[in-house]
Amino acid sequence: MKVKVGIMSFAHLHADSYAHCLKANPNAELVGIADHDSARAQAKAREFETQAFDSYESLLASDIQAVIICSENARHAPLVQMAAASGKHILCEKPLMTKLDDGKAMLAAAQGAGVQLFTAFPCRFSPAFQQMMRLIHAGAIGELLALRGTNRGSNPGGWFNDPELAGGGAMMDHTVHVADLMRRLTGHEIVEVYAETGNNMFHGAFDDTAMLTMTLQNGVFATLDSSWSRPKTFPTWGDVTLAAIGTRGVVEMDMFAQYLVYYDDRAGRVKQLFWGDHIDYLMVDEFLRVVAGAERQALATGEDGYRAAAVAIAGYESVKRREPVPVQA
Amino acid sequence: MTKVGIIGLGTMGAQHMDAYRAMPDVEVTAVYDHHAERAQAFAQKYSVRVAESLNDLLDHCEVIDICTPTYRHAEYALPAIEAGKAVVCEKPLARTLEDCERIVNAVKQRNTPFMPAHVLRFFPEYRTAHHLVQSGAVGTVAAVRMRRGGDFPRAKSDWYADFGKSGGVILDLIIHDLDWLLWTLGAVERVYAKALTFRNLTHLDYTLVTLKFKNGAVGHVEGTWCDPGGFKVNFEVCGDSGMLEYDSARQVALQIATRADGGTGGGVQVPESPATQNPYYLELRHFIECVQTGQTPEITVEDGYNAVRLALAAIESAQTGRAIAL
Ligand SMILES: NC(=O)c1ccc[n+]([C@@H]2O[C@H](COP(=O)([O-])OP(=O)(O)OC[C@H]3O[C@@H](n4cnc5c(N)ncnc54)[C@H](O)[C@@H]3O)[C@@H](O)[C@H]2O)c1
Repeated sequence: MKVKVGIMSFAHLHADSYAHCLKANPNAELVGIADHDSARAQAKAREFETQAFDSYESLLASDIQAVIICSENARHAPLVQMAAASGKHILCEKPLMTKLDDGKAMLAAAQGAGVQLFTAFPCRFSPAFQQMMRLIHAGAIGELLALRGTNRGSNPGGWFNDPELAGGGAMMDHTVHVADLMRRLTGHEIVEVYAETGNNMFHGAFDDTAMLTMTLQNGVFATLDSSWSRPKTFPTWGDVTLAAIGTRGVVEMDMFAQYLVYYDDRAGRVKQLFWGDHIDYLMVDEFLRVVAGAERQALATGEDGYRAAAVAIAGYESVKRREPVPVQA
Repeated sequence: MTKVGIIGLGTMGAQHMDAYRAMPDVEVTAVYDHHAERAQAFAQKYSVRVAESLNDLLDHCEVIDICTPTYRHAEYALPAIEAGKAVVCEKPLARTLEDCERIVNAVKQRNTPFMPAHVLRFFPEYRTAHHLVQSGAVGTVAAVRMRRGGDFPRAKSDWYADFGKSGGVILDLIIHDLDWLLWTLGAVERVYAKALTFRNLTHLDYTLVTLKFKNGAVGHVEGTWCDPGGFKVNFEVCGDSGMLEYDSARQVALQIATRADGGTGGGVQVPESPATQNPYYLELRHFIECVQTGQTPEITVEDGYNAVRLALAAIESAQTGRAIAL
C-alpha cells in the first residue's frame, strides 16, 4: 500500500527535492500540491505529474495520509495547524518556527489531533554523521569536550531576505541543521547561546554572517558558523561540517566531501559533483515508513525542530543583548 | 657587524640562532640561559660564548633577542631597553598587560628599536593573504575563520602546561592569528570565547573564539592543543566579492611517507613546505635591517601590546562567560 502524500507550498526550494524523493519512492504516491501561489502549484503539478489543488483546504480534504510543508518559515505554523486539524501526519521544512509561541502551537496542534509531526532534518541520515555518532558513542575519542560546526551557504534571495517571512537571515536559515546534529550526537540540550551577526556580504537589512557559540547541558561547548559566506564562484552550494574534540582525539566530519571535482569548460567553472548517499531520500523514506506504522529511528520530531529553532531564536536575542542568553525550552 | 645576544636557549633560541648564522653581517656575540648546562650545550653546538650575566651580555651586544618563556620576557626586555639596546622579543610580548605596558613605556622613553616577534606576518601564505585582503581582493570582508594547532607542546620544564606561565592556548598559540587579524582587519569591538583552559585537564587545551570587528566583520579562531593529528593551520577570508582560503592539510608541497623500524613498522607521514627563505630568518632579517638603517620595524611594540590585550580579553571572556568589549 502506497502512502498518499500532498505537498503544501513550494516556497522553499527543498520542496522540489522532496517531490523528487516521493516520485522515486515505490512506497509513495504524490497525490497533489497546493500553494498560496496558484500559478506555482500549477507549474509544479505539471513538473511532477500530479494534481494541483486550488486550496490547502481541498488538498487536505482529499484522501492523503500525510503532508510535507515547504512554505516560507513564518507560514509553517498556520499550515501545520490546518494539516493537524485534518488528521494528516506532517513533515515540516526547517526551521520549524520563527517564534517560540508558533512552535508551541504547532506541537500542541499535532498532539491534540493525534497526528505525528516531524521536522525535515536530513543531515541526521548522513552515513558520515551516523558513523561519527557510532565512533563517539563507542568511546573512540574519550570524553567529548567541544564541538565545532559549520553550515555555510549562499544567500537564497527572495523571501529569505525578508525577516518577516524568514524570521531572520542566515542565522535563522542555517543554524538548525547542525544544532540538531549536536543535540542528536550528545543527547543533551543546548542551554545557552551567544551570537554575533553581520551583513558585510550583502549589506541588507538581514544578517548574512552569523557565528553562534553554544553551551550544552553537559558542559560541552560548541561554535557554529551559519553564514551565507560562500562566494558565487564556490564549487558547490555550501557545507555541513562537524568536528568533535575529545580527551583522546578528534573526529572531523565534512558531510558532503564525497564528490568529483569537475572542471567544466562549457560553464567556465569548477564544480563539486556529489556522489554520496541522497539524504533527503533516506529521510523521506523513513517518513513514509513511519506514516505507514513503522517505528521512528532517525527522523526528527516536532520537538527536535522546536529545540533547534529555539537556538536560532536565542541567537537573535543574544545579538540584541550582546551577551549569552538561555535557550527557551 | 651587528652584535646580537640571545637569551633563552630552548626551541626558539635555537631557531633564531640558525637564522642569524645565515646572516654574514651579524654575529651572535654571546648567549644566555639561566639553566647552565643547557647554555653550555648550546654554546658548544654553535661555538658561541655563554655570557656570565645579563650585564655581561648587555655590555657586548647591540641587539638583544629574548626567547625565554613568556612569563620571563619582561624581566629581560626592560633592562635591555633601559640599556639602550635594540630588542626583539618572542611573542606574546609578555604574560600580563601590566608587563606589556611597562615595555611599551620603556620603548617610548628610550626610543630604542623594538619588535615583538609575530613571525606569522613573515609566513608567505599569511603575508600574501594580508596584502590581498588589504588590496581589496575579496571586497569588504564579512567573515574570517582561522585555525591553528596540533598536539600539546612539550617544552623544558613543561611550562606550557602552566597557565600562569604560558597563558594557555589563547595567549600562547592563537595570538599569532589574533595579531594577523588586527593587522589585516583592524580593531576588534567585542570578543567572546570558550576554552578548556580552566578545566584542569592535563595536556589538553582548546579554544573557540568569536570576534566582532569595528568594520562589521565577524571572526572565528580555533586554537587546539588537543589534536593528535599533527600541527595544522588554515584560514578563510570571505568578502562580498570573493574568498581566500588556505589549508596546510590540503596544500602540501612535499610529503614523505616512510616505514618505521627499518621498514617493518607502521608508516609515518611528514608534510613539508620547502622554501628558499624561512619566516624566522625573514623576520629577524627585517629587524636587523631596521637596526642598521634606523627604520621603524613593521611590527611595533603597540602591536605586541594590542595582541596581548585581545588575547587576555578572550581569556577573560572564557573565564567569566561574558562578552568583553575592547
Ligand atoms: N614564534 C613562534 O613560532 C614561537 C614558537 C614557539 C614558542 N614561541 C615563544 O618563544 C618563547 C620561548 O618558547 P620555547 O618553546 O623556545 O621555550 P623552551 O622551553 O624550549 O625554551 C626556553 C628557554 O629559556 C630558558 N629560560 C627559562 N627561564 C629563563 C630565565 N629566567 N632566564 C634565562 N633563561 C631562561 C630555559 O632554560 C629554556 O632553555 C615563548 O615566549 C613562546 O611563546 C614562539
